[in-house]
Amino acid sequence: MAVLTLEHVSYIYGEGTPFEIRALDDVSLSVREGTVTGIIGHTGSGKSTMVQLFNGLEKPTAGRVLLDGKDIWAEPKKMRDIRFRVGLVMQYPEYQLFEETIRADIAFGPRNMGLTEEEISRRTKEAAAFVGLEEALLDRSPFELSGGQKRRAAIAGIMAMRPEILVLDEPAAGLDPRGRDAILEGIRAYGKETGSTVIIVSHSMEDMAAYCDDIVVMAQAKVCLSGTRDEVFANAKRLTDVGLDVPQITHLMMKLRARGVAVPEGIYTVEAASAALRKLFGKGHTV
Amino acid sequence: MMKEPFIHTKDLCYSYSDENGLQQPVLRGITLDIAKGEYVAILGHNGSGKSTLAKLFNMILEPDSGELFVAGQDLTSPTLTEDDFYALRRQVGMVFQNPDNQLVATIVEDDVAFGPENLGVPSAEIRARVDAALATVGMTSYARHEPHRLSGGQKQRVAIAGILAMEPNCIILDEATAMLDPSGRKEVIETVEALNREKGITVLSITHYMNEAARADRVIVIDDGVVIMDGTPREVFADPARLLAAGLDVPQCTSLVHALRAEGVALEGDPVTVEECADLICRALEVI
Repeated sequence: MAVLTLEHVSYIYGEGTPFEIRALDDVSLSVREGTVTGIIGHTGSGKSTMVQLFNGLEKPTAGRVLLDGKDIWAEPKKMRDIRFRVGLVMQYPEYQLFEETIRADIAFGPRNMGLTEEEISRRTKEAAAFVGLEEALLDRSPFELSGGQKRRAAIAGIMAMRPEILVLDEPAAGLDPRGRDAILEGIRAYGKETGSTVIIVSHSMEDMAAYCDDIVVMAQAKVCLSGTRDEVFANAKRLTDVGLDVPQITHLMMKLRARGVAVPEGIYTVEAASAALRKLFGKGHTV
Repeated sequence: MMKEPFIHTKDLCYSYSDENGLQQPVLRGITLDIAKGEYVAILGHNGSGKSTLAKLFNMILEPDSGELFVAGQDLTSPTLTEDDFYALRRQVGMVFQNPDNQLVATIVEDDVAFGPENLGVPSAEIRARVDAALATVGMTSYARHEPHRLSGGQKQRVAIAGILAMEPNCIILDEATAMLDPSGRKEVIETVEALNREKGITVLSITHYMNEAARADRVIVIDDGVVIMDGTPREVFADPARLLAAGLDVPQCTSLVHALRAEGVALEGDPVTVEECADLICRALEVI
């Protein structure tokens, strides 16, 4: 079932000025409840504008944003509630920590929701656990943490509000492979264990292939491709046509097919590629 | 044996003092030689010490102990003067991660001129250097644009032009592509590779992207303040288990070949790029 829907949404920056830019152009899409949905596209394709529409930071120039079937702008005074239900983690959120301790920073959101101290403390611990921050770190100042740890603390701060939809703009940008996997695993665990929907904006097709159920591909202010991960990667050619990266393994499979090797389309993991090739290697090729 | 390395270190150590005044070792004895004109990728997880090493190479930080020679200059010599520092930094330029905080001027060509102006280069010469540097990075048509309106990849190319205008021998990229999208990353990598190939500039690229490292002549892996692997990309990526243990990864093509081999498929060689891997598989399947 769709939990979040965009209906013919357009967004124009600087409308009526010489700097007018159409960031989203008649976009319709729905995000299925309980999925991890990835949004991918070039810089300037409209991804970041789109996530800011999801929780009402921006108002569409035309069209509607529906949360559980209700227009989020129907009662603008209730926007505060919408922002608790749709939690947005911006790019490089580690620059937004401001409290004296990590614990206080994570607790800031739940405290604003008016929860009891007991509940705030419970949620703070739970959120820290999702992102893999040890209890001992929670009483430290953000200044004492590494960049990767600060990133996790900032994400935990949104998770602690337990949003039904957790939206993250480039959560793994700039991290090393281990840090990237730890954060993405934590985000996926949050979705699974709380039953929440997760939306991840990313430039990395390899991360999308590894972590997302559904993928939305943006190009020039429009949705150019969307569907389940299998459906999207079955159209790998279309992705490369709009100049997007495909995972290296998908790229290899396309090359092999072009050279007459009978591997199927839509392969995006090393495991699937290995299985497909294993079938082609007859007994003569094995030791 | 390589002659006259551009960078030479032996048992190089560096520690930070933490908030309690305790020394936290970051580099615990780095020994390596980098030749003039090499294109080297440096890999390591966050906190492994790789950025600290880069900062020692152009004297942003001073080593605690060990040998450190850059461009023939002994950087641990007590007689080193401030002028020597400036001369060194002119030769070894650094591009940092965030494209938004290394441009200082309000138009692109002023930004590129900032370095040579500070070096006291005559103004006619500055003009020539700025034009040449912008042409090299493909940003001539943006000379009079405002830097903040450029894309991330364009900003990093302007930062590189600013270094080129000082006529360096070496460029260090400290995760310079980490904040860029794939097309921006490609712009920067191609620019730097051309500088290495065509102008013989030594390139040290600190990166988390295994596919980028695969394009270098040599890959150095740093873990816990020491060099744990040093070789061609092929040699380094041939040992995925060791890289994974160091918090790193291998290119997907390399993983595939290892997975197939583990299942008993006879494949010779360790490809690191898509092309090499496709060739290898086609050869093995006899589909040429």
